Amino acid sequence: MQDIRIKDLPPPHGGKLVERVVRDPRAAWKLMEKCSAVYDIKPTLFKGNPVRNVYREIMSVCYGFFSPVEGSMTKAELESVLERRRLLSGWVFPYPILFDISEEDFKKLGVGPGDWLLLRLKGEPFAILEIEEVYEIDPLDVAIRTFGTPDKNPEVVRVPFDDKHTGYVIYKSFNPIILAGKYTIINEPKIRKPFDRFWYPPKKAREEFKRRGWTTVIAHQTRNVPHTGHEALMKMAAYIGDIKPCDGIVVNAIIGAKRIGDFPDEAIVEAHEMLHLAGYIKPERHMVTFTLWDMRYGNPIESLLHAVIRQNMGISFHMFGRDHAALGEYYDIYATQILWSKGIPSFGFDAPPYAVPGGFYIRPQNIAEFWYCPKCKEFAYSDNCAHKGIYSRYSGSFIRGLINEGVTPPPEIYRPEVYKVVVKWWKEFGYPFNNEKYLKEREERLEVDLPHMDIPEHLKKKIS
Amino acid sequence: MAKYFGIILDEKRLSAIKGTPLEEKVEPIFGGALKRLVIEVSDELGQKTIEQFSKARFDARGFIEETPAAFKRLVFKKAVELKSLGPEVLEKALEELPTIKDEIAKEDRELPVPDVDISDILELQKNPVQKPI
Repeated sequence: MQDIRIKDLPPPHGGKLVERVVRDPRAAWKLMEKCSAVYDIKPTLFKGNPVRNVYREIMSVCYGFFSPVEGSMTKAELESVLERRRLLSGWVFPYPILFDISEEDFKKLGVGPGDWLLLRLKGEPFAILEIEEVYEIDPLDVAIRTFGTPDKNPEVVRVPFDDKHTGYVIYKSFNPIILAGKYTIINEPKIRKPFDRFWYPPKKAREEFKRRGWTTVIAHQTRNVPHTGHEALMKMAAYIGDIKPCDGIVVNAIIGAKRIGDFPDEAIVEAHEMLHLAGYIKPERHMVTFTLWDMRYGNPIESLLHAVIRQNMGISFHMFGRDHAALGEYYDIYATQILWSKGIPSFGFDAPPYAVPGGFYIRPQNIAEFWYCPKCKEFAYSDNCAHKGIYSRYSGSFIRGLINEGVTPPPEIYRPEVYKVVVKWWKEFGYPFNNEKYLKEREERLEVDLPHMDIPEHLKKKIS
Repeated sequence: MAKYFGIILDEKRLSAIKGTPLEEKVEPIFGGALKRLVIEVSDELGQKTIEQFSKARFDARGFIEETPAAFKRLVFKKAVELKSLGPEVLEKALEELPTIKDEIAKEDRELPVPDVDISDILELQKNPVQKPI
């Protein structure tokens, strides 16, 4: 008889976890000695506002979240990703991962293929880029091809992307010169509070799951403070598993530059944590984690990155809801579920991403919707509850509107403790949501601090 | 497709519509935890409304959301004045938008922190289950 129990965590995407972090200062020094130039990492700006910082991508690559990607993509790799959502090795990967630089900075650096570049962050050595190739891109072309068009991707793209879409704006705002090559972190950053207790890179996450005895884990993607509908989703989706529900529910928040009007990341991670601190989900079964990434809001495309990240962390199942990682009406509201139930041929998927060569072990849990039904007296699943006209649908925008008006969300919407976390950070930042002031200050302090590290003499002369 | 503009009613707003035709149109939501009025408008008027505010958008339910609180106050005021939940309420509020420009600008910078005791959650956070490693 076939044993249907899941006995181990899924393998990393690509077969092997990438870990490119040098922790020995002497080894770091030797690597720095091979560098011929120094570059201070700058944020990507759109109309003067930070929309992305490449340091987050370097962190996610070097700590293995994006395995098997090891650095900034070559031109051939970029084309492969844009054309078929595959790396040259054949593994599924959805987004261009690029180290972009202005023509002016490129001329100043005077580097080329074969050179090593020391990257500094907050004035300290951070990482090394082993330059393999230098090439030019047309950022607008990359932006359009990354997210698709109604003509080329008619299955799910409804309207052309424009400047109201954050992800499109990120790629459109890239510098034109790409330095391709592997990244290595040589000065391990210290994660700032309150994020430090939620920092579980794939290797550490897998160790923690094993310590807890988990073999079946389900991921919840978030960019939001959890309302009771999210909580119901997490609890109900976790009934998938093998011979019993999942051992663990892992919230993985995407932390990075966000759109104005979203909640601050500090409130998001602590509000999720509050669900277990206040006992709504047992802490033995619930973990809050995060990944550094400036969210692209790419709906089905973003869901592929989520699968990469979470499978690398050792997660077996992934919740995908309506409007997954979406913004506006660019994609069909069920685009992610279409991808994960039958595939999207125009994006390179004739079958779901778990059923194609180079695809995933992680399994989707495509969920419709939860709403509050006073007749069912529960947070009801939309495929169960037939009380039309009675139930109330959740809407993050609606809840933010309540807060904006000074209305305390009732317990049917927010657990009281969760709302208090929102208030805590409202007091801290003077505002409940991301505004221009918060985003600018956040870009200065980032999510990390870097220990002081000396650099070789020949590089000191290169610092402008 | 129709779009909707919801006005949440607190005690003060409920008393303002008491005895008017609007009172009969109050809808309970979330099992009666909140009460609201809903204005139904055309897609064009909905679009015109969201174009006035950088954060505003239609949510998945077709509601016009994330408009400034000052604008919501103005829409409620117009609904009471006109004793209606027709599209003319939103049209009138949009006409008078310049009168609340300063209030809206201020809202982008500051919103008064609610007077809520958060000592219980601070206590819970003193001993987190997940600790930095």
